Parts: sequence; structure tokens; C-alpha cells
Amino acid sequence: MINVTAAKIKVDPRDAKLSMAHFFVAFTALALGGLMGLLQTLVRSGKFELPFGIGYYQVLTVHGVLMGLVLTTFFIMGFQYAAVSRTAGTHSNAARRTGWIGFWLMTIGTLMSATMVLLNEATVLYTFYAPLQAHWIFYLGLTFVVIGSWIDGAAQIMTYAKWRKNNPGQPSPLLSFMAVINTVMWIVATLGVAATVLFQLLPWSLGLVETVDVLVSRTLFWYFGHPLVYFWLLPAYMCWYAIIPKIIGGKIFSDSLARLSFILFLLFSIPVGFHHQLTEPGIDPVWKFIQVILTFMVVIPSLMTAFSLFATFERYGRSKGATGLFGWLKVLPWNDARFIVPFIGMVSFIPAGAGGIINASNQMDQVVHNTIWVTGHFHLTAATSVVLTFFGISYWLVPHLTGRKLTKAMNKLGIIQAWVWFIGMAFMSGAMHFQGLLGGPRRSSFSTYGNSQQALEWIPYQIAQAVGGTILFLGIILVLIIFINLAFFAPKGEEEFPVGEAENLSEKAPMVFENWKLWLGITAALILFAYTVPFIDIIQNAPPGSKGFKTW
Amino acid sequence: MAKPELKTNQKTQVEDRSSLKGTLASVFLLGLFIIVSWVSVYYLFVDRF
Ligand code: HEM
Ligand SMILES: [Cu+2]
Repeated sequence: MINVTAAKIKVDPRDAKLSMAHFFVAFTALALGGLMGLLQTLVRSGKFELPFGIGYYQVLTVHGVLMGLVLTTFFIMGFQYAAVSRTAGTHSNAARRTGWIGFWLMTIGTLMSATMVLLNEATVLYTFYAPLQAHWIFYLGLTFVVIGSWIDGAAQIMTYAKWRKNNPGQPSPLLSFMAVINTVMWIVATLGVAATVLFQLLPWSLGLVETVDVLVSRTLFWYFGHPLVYFWLLPAYMCWYAIIPKIIGGKIFSDSLARLSFILFLLFSIPVGFHHQLTEPGIDPVWKFIQVILTFMVVIPSLMTAFSLFATFERYGRSKGATGLFGWLKVLPWNDARFIVPFIGMVSFIPAGAGGIINASNQMDQVVHNTIWVTGHFHLTAATSVVLTFFGISYWLVPHLTGRKLTKAMNKLGIIQAWVWFIGMAFMSGAMHFQGLLGGPRRSSFSTYGNSQQALEWIPYQIAQAVGGTILFLGIILVLIIFINLAFFAPKGEEEFPVGEAENLSEKAPMVFENWKLWLGITAALILFAYTVPFIDIIQNAPPGSKGFKTW
Repeated sequence: MAKPELKTNQKTQVEDRSSLKGTLASVFLLGLFIIVSWVSVYYLFVDRF
């Protein structure tokens, strides 16, 4: 096989071990976070109260941190580490050691922050907005997580760089290229959160300074917060673009198109954080407008992705003799969990993406901002499209790494799991969307607000969310059963790590895609353009800083 | 002996294997869905503010 993507068919066992270490942390987070999610929906239904005086916001902080930060970051780093090993070759000892150091730093940081949350010293939700003030160990733990993730990511970059050196003039393997784009985006994005934590929140929580500039810290947070959601999404896109085609027996529609869309995500994911601050005073509307325009640029690579996935499916279907407008849908491998689980994730991304365009539109954000609609939205994007794809990946990757096989029974259970998740989420997220349009707030325990008519109208939707949450929790139990089975109990054997091939192998991806100076330069230029003037403005016209608050 | 296959009047429809019309239809439907969702919430906005 001349194809460079098939460098090594199997992930080296030493690399497999580090990937699996990431997955153990990720799935532990899923288990605990899932339980919290269930509790939240039950409390919000009004039929249940938390025991032992535990506060709703403590539970919500645990849920947001474990699901939004721990599960995602650990799964992504573990997956990308394996994907680079599989496509660019086994990591060197130095790279692997780097990876382990990063992993342990992230894990220690997670334990530090988690301990503070569990001690009720850091009930600040996963966004840790000032002026809510957590214990300094919480912020120090976050610093460890961020720095650990840089070191962890450096391992992938080292192996990618080695491949480039050994293969001059060649486009790198697609999956490695995508993993490195995502890691680079993550590093650029986390500079913002590192800045607010190190220069503002840590000194302030240690008592070295009295007050904090709230708007500066929120702006730095959202400089990171939007690319954060793309950091979750791009690994799912890696699977959709480059792995699913192989699973169904088809071809990648276009290798170059896939690379271009990833580059566009790198460029347009970062200079857009103001779309989370549209209702915030203190930011010049002109700059909000500019960042909203930049936000809408992300529609382009998103629709490129949709097109290219439909095209992969249709071309495969027609090669199998399918006819008619939608005949190709019928011949897709509906009984293969490795396909259908991520496929349900893809379909969920249609309403999820439409909701995102609504959120980013200034006027409509006035309708949905801080309502439970937003929570419904990201339970479609992150908690359905992304995590179902992650589940689908782990159904072949975990046995691949542990030298086991995905059995027929587990394949079937995987499919059931995905449908259970889909149904549960249809209830929960659907009800959240509708309740949000009726004004129901997010981040809110049960309340009838003094029996106000409007709040009473929300209750049926909250009960529907509890029904959905219960079904979803069942889905979490199923996925944990499958994960433990594949990690420890499934029969020994070989499970393939599928890597797709492009339809047109003679079409070499243009080398300009690997020109990091160029892309990092444009990324930096866009960030400086979008942020410099408003940021100076925010600092120059700052109101007096705020002292810390503990509302719990 | 007659040649039965000559008698058939049916047109055999040959579809181009490389046709992407299903993809075209799909992305149009996707676009339509986005527009309909957007416009519905836009009307909520116009109604309320
Ligand atoms: C059993 C499955 C799940 C249930 C029942 C559930 C339920 C909930 C509920 C009810 C809320 C909102 C509460 C409020 O705003 O007052 C929430 C928030 C959240 N969920 Fe989930 N969820 C589940 C899975 C997930 C997953 C898989 C993820 C991420 C991948 C996730 C990420 C989040 C985040 C980031 C928040 C925001 C927390 C905040 O506003 O501070 N959830 N979840
Ligand atoms: Cu955003």
C-alpha cells in the first residue's frame, strides 16, 4: 500500500497504555457527572429535594466541571494521542514521557480542583466567573490542568514534527494533521484562561489583591470559551471525516477539503468570544458586531463538512447500486455500532447547529440568553453530537488498545445505548428549548417565583426534563457497562483502528496547508484585530474592581 | 424464434454513478431547516421586543 496514512496498523501497546489512562479518567468523570445531571433534572422537576442540605449549585458545579472540562479534555487528549500514533507512527520515548507528564499534571490538577468543589469551597460553576470567588487551590488546580494539557499536546506535536522531518514535501497523514490543528487551537485559546487565572483570580483568591476587574476576566474567559466548544467538536469531526468513511467501506470525499475546513476552524474559532457577551455592558457594540460577523464565518466550514459527509454517503451508496434521490441511505451499515452511534450524533448536529446560528444573532440572543434554551442547545452539541461520537469511537478504540474485540452482543448494546441517549435527549433538550423560549432561566433550581403565572407554565417542561434525564442516566449506565466490558472482559482479539482513504489518491493535498507560520500568523492577526481595541477600551474605562463573593 | 428482450418498451434508466443529487437535495433541506428555525425565533423577537 502506497498510502502514507497506513503507516502502522496498530497503536503500539506503550502508546495504548497512555491513551487508556486518559479514558479511565474520562469515563469516571462521566459516571459521577451523569449522576449529578440526573439529580439536577429531578430537583428542577419540583418533586425531589437534595438530601443533607447539599446545595443545587454545588451539584451543578460538579456536573459542569466533570462533563464540560474533565470528560472532554481527557477523552480528546487520549484519542488524539492514539490517532497520531496510529497514523504518524509510534511516539518516541521522549514524546511518550512528555505525554505521561502532561497526563499526570492534568490529573493532579483535576483532583485539586475537584476536592475544593466537593468541600464546598468552590461552588462557582464550571465557568468560574468573577466576582464569585473560589478557594485558591481550585484555581491552582485549573492552572495545572491547563499546563498539563499543553505538555500532553506537545507529545502529539513532537511526533507530527518527526513525521514531517522524515517525509519532506509530503502532506502529513490526515488524522495527525487534524489532531495537531486541534491541539494548536487549544494552546492558543487556553492562553486567555491561563492569563485570567494566573494574573487575576489566583492573586485575588490568595488575598494578594483586594479586587478583580470582572469584565476583563470574563472577556479573557470567553476568548477561551468559544474555541473550547470547537476543541470538543473537532475530534468528532476527525471521526466523521476520516474514520467513518472507512467503517462504511467508502472513501473520504476530499482530503484537501477536510484540511481546509479544519484550518478555517482554527482561524475563525478564536476571535469571536464576544458572541457570549452580547448582553454585557462595557463592550462597544461595534466590536460585538465585528465579532458576530467573524462568528458567522464558521458557518462556511460547518456547511462544507455537512456537504462532504452527505457526499461520502451518497457516493458509497451509489457504488453499491443505490438509485433515486435518497436510495443511498438504505445501504448504509445500520447494524454497525461504530457507524450508527456517531451517525446519530451527526443528525443531532443539524438542530444543534441551527440553534447556534440563532444564539449568535444579536437580536435573538435577547430572546434566549441565560434561558434554559442555551442548556438545551449545548446538550445537543456537546452532550449528544460530541459525546455520542466519542462513545462510538471508544467502541472500537478501547478494544483496539486493550487487545480485545467488540463482540456482537456489545455492538448491539452500543446501538441500544445510542438510541436510549437520543430518546432521553429528545425529551430533555427538547423541553429545555421550549421552556427557554417561554423565558425559563438556566442555572436555576426549582422555584415558582411566588406562584407567578409564567413560572407555573414552565413546570410541565421541567417534568419532561426529569423524564429525559432519567432515560439519559440509563444511557450512562449502559455506556459504562460497555466501556468496562471492552477494557477488561471482552474476548482477546484484534479490533481494527479504521483510517479512511481519500477517493482521489493522486490529488495530493496542497503543501500550503502545512505552512504553520502562515496559519498561525493569520490566527494571531485575526485575534489582534478583533480584540486589541475593545480590550484597551475595557481596561481604560474600567469601573472600580469587585471584591470576592461567596454566595453559597 | 422471437427475441423477447427486443419487445420490451421499458426505458432503462441509467443513473450516473457519480451523481450527487441526493447530496444537493440534502444540503438544501438542511439550509431550509436552518432558515425556518431562524425565522421562527426572529418572529418571537419581533413579537416581544
Ligand atoms: C445524564 C445525562 C445528563 C443530564 C441528565 C444532564 C442534565 C443537565 C441539566 C439539567 C443542566 C442544567 C441545570 C441548570 O442550568 O440549572 C445541565 C448543565 C450542564 N451540562 Fe448536563 N446533563 C447530562 C449530560 C451532560 C454531558 C454528557 C455533558 C457534556 C459533555 C454535559 C454538560 C453540561 C454543562 C457544561 C452544563 C452547564 C453547567 C452550568 O450551567 O454551569 N451534560 N446538565
Ligand atoms: Cu460560542
